[in-house]
Order: sequence, then C-alpha cells, then structure tokens
Amino acid sequence: MTSFVWMKVLESAPQRYDRGIRMLSAGRIAGVYERIADLVAAPGKRILDVGCGTGGVTLACAARGATAIGIDVDAGMLEVAKSRPVPDSGSAEFVQLSAAEIEDRFPAGSLDAVVSCLAMSEMSSEEQDYVLRVVHSRLVAGGALVVADETAPEGVMANLAYRLRRLPVAATTYLLTQTTTRPLHGLGPRVQKAGFSIVSTEPMWSGSFLIVHAVKVAP
Amino acid sequence: MRITDLPGYLRDRAFGMLPHRAPTGLIRIGNPDRHSPVLVTGNFTLTVRRLRDALAGCDVWLLVVNSKGIDVWCAAGGGHLTHHDIISALRTSRVAEHVDHREAILPQLCATGVERPPITEATGFTTLWGPARLEDLPGFLDRGAQPVKSDRFMRFPVWERMEMAALLGVPMLMVVLPVLAAVSGWAAMTAGGAAIGLTVLGLFVLLPWLPIRGRRRFVLVAVFAAGAALLGCGLLFVLGAATSSRLTAVSVASLAGIAIASIDLAGFTPWYGSSINTFHNQAHIELVAERCTAVADCVAVCPRDVLDMDERRHRVQINKPDWCIQCGACIVQCPTDALRFRYDDGSVVEAPTIRRTRMNMLGRRSVEVRD
Repeated sequence: MTSFVWMKVLESAPQRYDRGIRMLSAGRIAGVYERIADLVAAPGKRILDVGCGTGGVTLACAARGATAIGIDVDAGMLEVAKSRPVPDSGSAEFVQLSAAEIEDRFPAGSLDAVVSCLAMSEMSSEEQDYVLRVVHSRLVAGGALVVADETAPEGVMANLAYRLRRLPVAATTYLLTQTTTRPLHGLGPRVQKAGFSIVSTEPMWSGSFLIVHAVKVAP
Repeated sequence: MRITDLPGYLRDRAFGMLPHRAPTGLIRIGNPDRHSPVLVTGNFTLTVRRLRDALAGCDVWLLVVNSKGIDVWCAAGGGHLTHHDIISALRTSRVAEHVDHREAILPQLCATGVERPPITEATGFTTLWGPARLEDLPGFLDRGAQPVKSDRFMRFPVWERMEMAALLGVPMLMVVLPVLAAVSGWAAMTAGGAAIGLTVLGLFVLLPWLPIRGRRRFVLVAVFAAGAALLGCGLLFVLGAATSSRLTAVSVASLAGIAIASIDLAGFTPWYGSSINTFHNQAHIELVAERCTAVADCVAVCPRDVLDMDERRHRVQINKPDWCIQCGACIVQCPTDALRFRYDDGSVVEAPTIRRTRMNMLGRRSVEVRD
C-alpha cells in the first residue's frame, strides 16, 4: 500500500537538493567539491563522478580542464545537473547509470580518477564493496579514488553528541528540502580491501565528514 | 504480525510519509533451493515485514532492492526505484550464484518506473510481473507464477483506509495538539484532537461512498469540517469545559485540520489520481491506435483495469478511462510507445518523456507535439 502524497514531496526534491546540502553542511559543501577536484582534476584527465547528483563535483573537475562524466540513477538530479553551465576549460557529461553498471560502460583501465561525494552512503554495504571493486578494475594503474562522505564519530559519547547535534539540523533540512544524508561506516578499511592504497584521509567538521584519497596499487 | 513487530509497524504507519530503510540484499524465506523463485521488492521496512508474513510457508528468495526506504509504488513513481537499482541489486547480491534459473518476479506496482528490457540485457535475468498486492503472492506462486485478473487490481480495503487515516492524521495531530494545549489547555486539546482524529478516520472509512473528485468535494469538505467542529464543541460540553475561547479554538482547529486533510484527499488513495499539481489541467490516457501491436504489457500492469484487449480488432482499448489514476505504468511499459498522456489544454506527454523523468503522476511535464 502506498500514498501518492510522497509524489508531491519527492517531485520537487531535485531542485531543492543543492539548498538542502548547503544547509546540512552550513554552506561548506562547495569547499568540499573544490577540494575533491583539486586532488584529482587536471587538463585531459578522464574522471568519473559516481553519484554525481546535481553535478557539483563533476563541474568542479571540468573547470580544471578534466573530461568529467557524472553518473547518477536519479533522473531529476541529472536534469538539474544538465541545466548548469559547463566550464569552457573542460567537458562534463551526465549519464543516468547506477554505480553497479559502471562495468558495462567503462572498459578496464579507461579512467584516470574516480570521485564520489555523498553518494556511497546512499548505497547498501554490498553495493559499496561491489562498486569499489569495479572502480578499481576500471582505473589505470596509479589512478586516484576520492570518496567524500558523511561519517559518524566512532566513540559512544562522541557519537551520541554528534547525533544530538545533527538531529535538529537534519529534521529542519528535511522538512524544508526533503533532503538528508546518512553517515558512512568503515570507509578506510573498505577502500583498502578493494585494492587501494590510502594517500590521505582528511577529517572535517569535527569528524563528521571525511575525504579519503587513495590510489590504485599496481598489481 | 509478531508482537515484536508492533512498534515498527506503528512507526511505519504513523510516519509513513518518511522513508524507513530496511537492509537490502538477498533474504531466504523458508528453505529456498536453486530452483526457487526470486521475488524483488523495495526496502521500505513495512513492505519487507509484510512480505515475510505473507510468504510464511513458501520457499523463495527475496531480493530487497534499495528503494531508499520508500514503498515500491511511490519509489518507482518518484524515480527512486528504477531498473538501475534492480540491476544493482541483482549484481551485488550475487543471486545468480544461488539459483539455476534466470527469472525474477517484479512487483507490479514498480511498473511506473522500472523498465524490464535493460534488466535482462545487463544481468541475463528475465522478469515478469507479480501481483499488485503482496497478500496475493502465495496464490500467484501456487499457480506457477501465473497472474489472474484480480491480482492486477488495486484494492483499498477498510483497514488500509484506516491506516491511511493514521498516516495523515498522526502528523497533523502532532502539530495541532501542542498548539491547542498551549492556547486553550488540556480540555481543548483532548476535544479538538478527538474531533480531528475521528473525522479524518471517518473520511477514510466512508471513502468509497464519498464524492472526493469534482466540485462536489468542496461540499464534502465543508460538511466534514463543520462536523468536526460540532463534534469538538460537543466533547467540550461533555467534559464540562465549554468556554467561549475553548469553543472557538477547537472549532478553528477542527475546521483547519479537516481543510488541510482534504487538500488532496484523492491523492491519498490508490483509486484516484492526485490533482494537486494539475488543478484544472487533468491528464488523460490516450492510445495512438496505429502504434499498438497488441503486446498488451499495458493491460498487465494497470492497477485499475483501465485497459483491455480488443481481441476482434487485435489491439488494446481504453475501456474505463475514468478509472485511470495517471500512474503512467502502461505508458512506461508499452514497447511501441502507443500510449501517452493528453492534457485538457491539448498538450501531450509522450512515453520517452515519462520514462526519462519518472514524474508521471503530477502532470508538470507537458511537451507540445504536432499531430
């Protein structure tokens, strides 16, 4: 059973996504997009943005001269992404594709870097491991992986404080924008298990956000 | 339902407008073997729990797909459950390692947003439509995955209407009750809460006999709102707490509550399409007869029995246009794009647009084409 009321809520979410994420991050998300692009993007680099949403990271990479492709399953998000101007310095393409379909479109060794911001936490744990394995096979040797996502502090008290601090912001954001995020667990070990070597981990915002930069270890 | 499931059930029903995520992946129901059927569903907690109950005694594989914690129908209609999600689940769950066959049974209600051919192309799994309602699954499986016509039709029995009343009424009361308590005290809160709650319940229980579409719905709302106000005032007298300020507060709250609850009453049912975004520009299903090749996938996915096969002319016909809820499932599934929406203003939305946007119930996306 269902209610069509959800339709009314969901239909306008893509247009509100950027506003919602800005609210949740207190305006700091734009800096994250730029930081991710700084880590991997350069002229001519072939970059895949997994779960590109409204295209913030994809376009930041294109602005640095990269050939960026953003994939997402959400048609509404992609429409917003496609409506945004692409910088002249690079290129940006947006394709409706799930992370589990990367292997169908991108041959082995066809990507210089893969980035993903606030998308891994939307996937199930099986999907996360599967995607990391597939991405590893699609990158060139030494290719870069950057995963940026919300995380929860590990300690019990720190975690409780984090949840209490987050609750009012998340509830308000959801009411206003129908957008929310979920914390990701065990990102570093998952990335290593998939065959990557971690270059750096940058915790941000009191440990509630993490940027993991890794490279594909040559076999 | 087990007693331990009760808290989750109450949460899912009262706050069903929010997503509630169940774990995704492959679940064993009973003792499935390599020949057992694979059923696909979304990861709304209530759906998964009810499926476990409905399938007790069956031996099946249940593949829970990431529908973002939203029920299958809404998720598919809103673009949150697509063939991409099903491909992802089939691959990442490694279901192919558990079964010898390559067939997955999809819930009929995901037909609004899930295209079947890409699933087969990407995974090798062919798909077929299961029944619209999960309680029909055991019978469907007993018949060897053969649907009967009643499996396709979306019923809306009284207990589900009462659940829908809770879905609408509980969040409303969570807002109204503290306001009434703060403004006029506990007696007003009790009387107003009871009046609004019972009236919303009454609206849904009596739904099959009420005119909730067309201009007569305004009369209906006025009658129920006035009834709620009178009920609230009567309760205040019974409680011996009737003062002019409390009577005013309860009346205003009751009138407002029922008015808000009735903004899109039709959209809360599986029987009528939502009109909140289309207002006076309603969408109507339209068949482009020369494109129809009588595949009849549209007939198989319509939850309202709007379409049927005209065997004599060997093509589909729109038999009950007034029953259409504009869910768009028939349009998405037609392999020859023979169905589309036409709006009162003459604009049409063709199948590729419906498939691309998935926002097919709201009628916001109209694309002009020349006939």
